[in-house]
Amino acid sequence: MAGRNRAVTLLFSAVIALALSGCNVVRLTINTPLTPQSVAFITEGRTTLADVIDTLGAPDSMTDAEAGTLVTYRFLDAKYSRVNFGWLLKPWSPVDPDLVFSRSGLGTDAFDLLCDNNWVVTHHAFVRHRPAPPFTPYPF
Amino acid sequence: MRRVSALLVLMLLTLNACAFSRGTLGDEIKTDTVNSIKKGVTTRSEVLALLGAPDRLLQLNGRDLFQYYRYDAKVGSLLLIVLNFSRVSVKSDDLFVIINREGTVEEVIASKRTEGLEFRFWPFGD
Repeated sequence: MAGRNRAVTLLFSAVIALALSGCNVVRLTINTPLTPQSVAFITEGRTTLADVIDTLGAPDSMTDAEAGTLVTYRFLDAKYSRVNFGWLLKPWSPVDPDLVFSRSGLGTDAFDLLCDNNWVVTHHAFVRHRPAPPFTPYPF
Repeated sequence: MRRVSALLVLMLLTLNACAFSRGTLGDEIKTDTVNSIKKGVTTRSEVLALLGAPDRLLQLNGRDLFQYYRYDAKVGSLLLIVLNFSRVSVKSDDLFVIINREGTVEEVIASKRTEGLEFRFWPFGD
């Protein structure tokens, strides 16, 4: 009986392993992603660049703009997942078959601040909304 | 006990490999060096002697902006036979030195984000 249970467990493990065959889950994070909540302390016309640096650290770039200085924080949170269903046929196929579904979301996000000549923040905005893609390899 | 043994055997059978990779770009920006730069005292040539030529040189309303940066990337991978988890974490250290028209340091902006950078495998959650 114990031997049978062991065999069933082994078979179940093998089936699970085959069902998950060729799966990859990858995540790439560049710097600490900023959210609207993490920059909520900024008040245009009052908050200085020094206040922002105290909270968020040094920016990634500073460039000259007509109305002052443009300060940019860049960050990225990308997810990638991939399933190779070809692995299911490997035990029975003489060749190495592949049927790959994969999906990823890329795009560096940024948070921009415009400071006047006294280093007071006059405008601030996210360049684009950070997507929060789930790990779903289905590309269609 | 049997369950633990079975779990260990299963892990040994499925755990194919682990991988640790690391990549850096640029020289380390030492905190002591940054602290030695004094606003209104340190000159442009002293900054260059301390830190070398900047990675980027910009004009900011008639002032010079020296930017120094360093990137650190750590990759952790847990490679099971049929399922792989990887996580790539990249952070940067940035130093901005603003030099006024008189040639002395007006502002120093620095932060070390790489200090808390860790090897991570698990791609889910924060």
